[in-house]
Amino acid sequence: MSEIKKGTPKRGISVYSYCRLLGYTMTLDDVFEDMYDAGATCFELLANHIENYPNPSTQWIDHYFHLCEKYHMQPAEMGHWAETHLHRGPRMSDEQILANLIRDFKLANLLGFKSLRTKITCINEYCDPEPEWEHLMELALPYAEKYDVAMLSECHAPTKLTRQHIYDYLEFADKHQTKHFGINVDFGTFQNQWPEDIYSPEEMERRRSRGYGKPDSWSQPEDIIPILPYSKTCHAKFNYVDENFEERTIPYAKVLQLMVDNGWSGNLVSEYEGPGREDAAFLGDQLRRHHILMSRILGY
Amino acid sequence: MTEQYFVQQRGFHNIYNDDGTIWGFQFKMCTLYYKGLWLSQFRAGDAIVDGVVYPKETLIWNIQGIDYSREEMYDRMDQYWQVADTATVKVPCPGGLKQGYHTVEIQFGWICNYNAALEPDPNGNTLGIMGPYTRMSTAAGSAHPTERRLLLVW
Amino acid sequence: MVEYSAIQQRGFHNTCDAKGNLDGFEFRFTPKYYKGLWFTQCRFGNVTVDGEVFDRDSLIFEYDGLEYTREELFDVKIYWQIRVPITVKVKKPGGLKLGYHDVSMDFGWVLNYNGEPEKEFDGSGLGNGGHMMGTENSRRMLLAR
Repeated sequence: MSEIKKGTPKRGISVYSYCRLLGYTMTLDDVFEDMYDAGATCFELLANHIENYPNPSTQWIDHYFHLCEKYHMQPAEMGHWAETHLHRGPRMSDEQILANLIRDFKLANLLGFKSLRTKITCINEYCDPEPEWEHLMELALPYAEKYDVAMLSECHAPTKLTRQHIYDYLEFADKHQTKHFGINVDFGTFQNQWPEDIYSPEEMERRRSRGYGKPDSWSQPEDIIPILPYSKTCHAKFNYVDENFEERTIPYAKVLQLMVDNGWSGNLVSEYEGPGREDAAFLGDQLRRHHILMSRILGY
Repeated sequence: MTEQYFVQQRGFHNIYNDDGTIWGFQFKMCTLYYKGLWLSQFRAGDAIVDGVVYPKETLIWNIQGIDYSREEMYDRMDQYWQVADTATVKVPCPGGLKQGYHTVEIQFGWICNYNAALEPDPNGNTLGIMGPYTRMSTAAGSAHPTERRLLLVW
Repeated sequence: MVEYSAIQQRGFHNTCDAKGNLDGFEFRFTPKYYKGLWFTQCRFGNVTVDGEVFDRDSLIFEYDGLEYTREELFDVKIYWQIRVPITVKVKKPGGLKLGYHDVSMDFGWVLNYNGEPEKEFDGSGLGNGGHMMGTENSRRMLLAR
């Protein structure tokens, strides 16, 4: 049996991490400069980070590409929503839903994105999808192929990688033999530690009520292996990186090594959504620590 | 936008030659003064990083995209350093700094035509007669140290 | 740039009619949510100032130079850009007195993930997304004109 060639994932950052700063005390230019300093070479943008979404001006588009060139950044993933209930009352028609998806596909293609973090409408906090999801994705697939984007549904805590709908998604991709549908694994699904110096009792109570932190409620690192062929971009979620550049809540070394050993070379975008995001100095420091952590595991 | 610190977090990294070798490192700074300055009013001092003094004569100041030595700035009455804009300080240092935390300080000041006497040294060899204002006169009385601990990644 | 608070300090003042008589007041509002919203997803509630309730259907919302009622916004297929405030205009003959006021507005939205669809089929509630940050947005502000 031939040996699997080691993967070389690209280190990136999700602009979402700056969501409590962008537009308040930081511009998009500042964000790109910050990502560059952390050693990131790719990024995730949410649709709303595009000025005047869904109709950015040519001036903004030019400036966006100027930032990509200046800071040597590749577009990795665009976050968008496959809305099916934009107005009150009944579900939107297939035509309406599809038109919005195609609009986002075109925009992603224009801005150089190959991955989309597609939020499929779901019915609970575990993101079990609306029953009509398969029909909708079948309608969307030809357009995703045309605009060369992959719709990646996020597996985000408290959802485990072994939840039924994840298997259903993989089965869908296999059935249609497509690379334009898959999974974005948010590393928060592997969180197995809640240190008392990071999480207060009140915070833990709040999280437990939302399904986090209960015994056996997280994914095991090995659970990512069968997902890898269906994933182009993952959210390298972190909660706190300490002064020794160790992440104390998620088994980072194990997860990354498994990905590399199984030949995965996708985009790893750092994502921080914990407290302190309004403090630019704190957030910038955490993102830099996170990239040093990843670079030491990856070797680059 | 600019942080409310003399030494900025963004812009701190080593500087590479085309062949991949490192010739120095850079960081950004801001005067935090309420107004801008003509370059000829600015008095650039030494950079001190991890206790190592990098003399003012060796530093390169990049303001609005143009490099200046300390000496060259004396005659630039035509270049205005806009308020809240940052300057990039480039420090020659073969091999650069190691990845990790560093304490970065920049000494500086400026001259001003009010609220104080004229600059005593007509050659401008001092740090001027004003700044940096390490304690802002706000209700909170916040302190702004001239040195800052920053993390260098590359 | 906007402030972190959903209710903005800038833009809070009395308003006048064409004859110059005080006829109400206005303030600016921007959701604290991490992303923008289509106006059709938004669920606006009442404004309360110093305990006085102003019914949501009496409010006027101005965005990008155009005015809308709450009912009209259900069908407005425009994207409310992130960190761009909407102006909330409230009719009140004589306006508010100069001084401090406790201003609040209920606001929620619908979102298509992490939860069940909105319970109120006709959109009469505050949606299913605002619970994350609370649907009541309050601020004590000083009115100077």
